[in-house]
Formats: sequence, C-alpha cells, structure tokens
Amino acid sequence: MTETTALPTDAQIEARLAAYLGEQTGAPVALRGLRRFPVGFSWATFGLTASLPDGDRDLILRLGPDTGLFAPYLARPQYLVQKVLTQTDIKVPDAYWYSDDPAVMGMPFYLSEKAVGEAPIPFVSNGAEFEPGYRDSLARDFVDQLAAIHRFDWKASPLAEWDTGQTVENVAAREIDFWEHLHDRWATRPYPMVYRALTWLRANLPVAPRVSIVHGDYRIGNFLEVDGRITAILDWELAHLGDPHEDLGWAFLPQYSGNSGLVCRLISRQDFIARYQDKAGITVDPATLKFYIVLNLFKIAMTQLAGVSCFESGDFDDMRMPAMGTQIFAAFRQIQKAIEEDA
Amino acid sequence: MNNSLDRLLDGMASTLRTQIIPKLDDDFARGQAFGVIYMLNSIRLRADWSIDFLKDQLALQATALTALNAALRGRGPALPDGALPQALVSAKALQDLRDANDRAICGLIVWLADAGLPAPDRAAIETILDRYMTDQARHELKTSARPMFAEMSRGTEDA
Repeated sequence: MTETTALPTDAQIEARLAAYLGEQTGAPVALRGLRRFPVGFSWATFGLTASLPDGDRDLILRLGPDTGLFAPYLARPQYLVQKVLTQTDIKVPDAYWYSDDPAVMGMPFYLSEKAVGEAPIPFVSNGAEFEPGYRDSLARDFVDQLAAIHRFDWKASPLAEWDTGQTVENVAAREIDFWEHLHDRWATRPYPMVYRALTWLRANLPVAPRVSIVHGDYRIGNFLEVDGRITAILDWELAHLGDPHEDLGWAFLPQYSGNSGLVCRLISRQDFIARYQDKAGITVDPATLKFYIVLNLFKIAMTQLAGVSCFESGDFDDMRMPAMGTQIFAAFRQIQKAIEEDA
Repeated sequence: MNNSLDRLLDGMASTLRTQIIPKLDDDFARGQAFGVIYMLNSIRLRADWSIDFLKDQLALQATALTALNAALRGRGPALPDGALPQALVSAKALQDLRDANDRAICGLIVWLADAGLPAPDRAAIETILDRYMTDQARHELKTSARPMFAEMSRGTEDA
C-alpha cells in the first residue's frame, strides 16, 4: 500500500466533499481548484474553493491518513481549539466542519478558513535575513499572540473537555510519559541518547506556573503574515493543556533560528522573555525553560523517529519522512549540549 | 541513515512512479524518470550499506565498552566486550551487532540512574557514556549530506 492508495484521489476528495458539504448546507455545493500544499509533515493539507449557498469560500482541507506521521488522527481537537479561539483576539483561522467518521472521507478531516498571508519559513539556505522593521513588527505579534494563548481561560470554554486531571505538578511528567510511549511505538533501533534524555528529564521535573493551552508547535513556519502583521496562527495539531514554558522552549529551538541567533529569526531571547512576561503575566523560570528545551529537542528526535517508522512500514512514500530521519543524531547532539548548558 | 536501504530504494521508485511522473507533461522528462526507477531497482538487487561505515560505528562502541567495563568493575548489567568480528560478515550482521551493543548501553543508562553508586564512580561512567554519544553523533553527522529542508518545504531550489 502506498500513500496514494491511503489518501483518496483528487476526484474522490472532490466527490465525497461535495456530497458532505451538500448535506451540511442543505444545497448543492460545487468545488474547484483542489491542490495539495508541500507544507505540513503530518496531516495532508489541501486548498480548494467551494461554491456554497452564501457564495464562494476558499477553504483549507486537512486529511489525517491512518498511515500518517502521528496516526491515528482525531480531527475534533483541532477543530475545537480553532473554533473556540476564533472568538478571542488570537489570530486563528475559523474552523467550519470536521468529522472523525471514516465513512465520510475515509479518514478524519476538517475544513477551515483559508487565512490570508504568507508563511515565512525557518529553513534558510541562502542566509537571507528579514528587514529590521518588518522583523520587529512580526516579533511583537509573535510574542503577543503566544501570551494571549497562555492567558486564555480554557476552563471557562468548551476546551474544558480537554481536562483529564492536568495540574501544575503533573503536566511535565505526563508530557514525558506521552512521548516515551511514542518512542516505544516508533523506535526501529536502540539509541542511548533517548535513555540519557529520559533519565535527565525525570530527574529535573519542574512545577508549572499555570496549566494553560499549549500550542505545541509555535514557531516560524506556523503563522501567516501580511505587511509584517501576523494574520493567523496555524497547525494546532499538537495543542494540549500544559506548562506555558513548553511553547517558549519550542520557539527557542535552534532548528527555527535559521542560523540568525534569534528566536525564530525574529527576536533575541532576552527581548522575547521580557515582552512575554509583561504580556502573559508569567515569570519565566530559567530551569523550567531549560527543561522544556531539552524535552522539545527530545520531541523533535521522536518526530524524526516517527518519520523513519512510518516510511519503513511501507505504507507511506513521502520522501520527507526518511529525510527527517537523517536528522535524529543532530537532535541528539543538541540534547546533549542543552543538558550540559547552564540554565 | 535510519531507514533500510531496500525500503529507501523502493520508496524512491514508488514516489517517482506515483507522485512525480503523473505530474510531468514532457515525454522526455517522463522517460528519464523511468530510467531512474530502473536504475534504482537495479541498484537494489546488488547494493548494501557500507561495511566500512558500520565498522566505524562498532569501533566507537568497542572503545566505549572497554572503558565502561573497566569503570563498572563487575557492577551493574553485563555489557558485551565490543570486539569486532574477525571473519567476513554481512552488513546485516554488523547492524545487528551494533544494535545489540547500543541496547546494552541503553540498559546501563537506565540502571545507572537508580544504582546508587558513589558520585565519583557515577560521574566517571557518565563521562564515558557522554563521550560515546558525542562520538556516535559526530560520526553520523560527518557522514550525512547537506539537508535540503528549505527546498522540500518550498518545492523550489535557490539559484
């Protein structure tokens, strides 16, 4: 089986989606312009235009094939977090429809607004830097949006259904357990650094300043911008309840600095932390930040293991997967350096 | 490299056939792509991972295991001696040996966390382990091609 047999063909997608949207809107729906985007390493992401009863609408379709990187997938969490946060000042594409019933599209899927803007990416092969005014404007929005996510009162929203007993004392250990479980599922060979990282993490568990919504993949490449202003925070696949330091630790990873020495090519660590503390009302703890940098590097390495595993299974021919797998030791080297660095 | 060679070659041929060739609108370009598929299939019948590459990995393990056995002085889980096979063996056999050695080192790391060894003894063992993991990573990175994730994300290559 290959990815093309796991994913519906373009014609199948159009036919199934038109039928589904017809049922949802109570009127015939025509689709055009279906195309797959090269971004996104997990859910398959498509753009299309739907002629709906209230007019044409550009949509993003995300499909979660059971052969994909983080399969098995559920669409409801992403739909819900986007739908809920649309009601706030946080820039999130509106979510319109979803289904986890495989009878509809053969796999979980959801449809959201196609937000306007371009996505600056972390990978820079020509050493290009942002123009300072543009960069500073993006940096302000980048920090402020994250602070707003971490300030959001999820307990008073439908996201309260994510509450499974997370506390400031247990979120770090739960996150380690979650990723260790995935390691056991994905590992195709033993790696000593996995156990070195796990023992260090368990010996250095922090207490969170609060339990907040954590985006889980907050970085350059996962937002859209127009004229230096962020228009949409994308890719909520890994959103969960946890320690807000987890998102800072992710954005601070060297993978996203583009060799600029800046957080996500945008802002120095000191300036990020100063602005974030002011906007989020959270004091950033250096030891906790170090813990989450190590944990996030571990998550990067595990994601690369997932790429190796799902490609090796023979069900998924996306060549980006083994390419990711070539970077496991780079992540291991970074874990070792991060552990050795002072907090 | 963390995927098997056979699977990589199969995946490359399948990607060309199912995801690239159908999008090419030039007969000559499609013909060239089929030529690549044919050669990948041909390589698959005869190629294997480099035995020299695997022996380099095993040599790093041998150095670490010798030092660890000396530092442990009979304490903790039994470790292999890391000796390299003298006879001609297959790449698959060397991979299995490498993985068995690394599995033993993983077990040692887990044991060490709760073993209650005197601090200097534990520090000495951790130093050997850290040196091994550093050398292992350096060897992997030294033998890896320049990443092309910018190109894979954009679908274009800088001029």
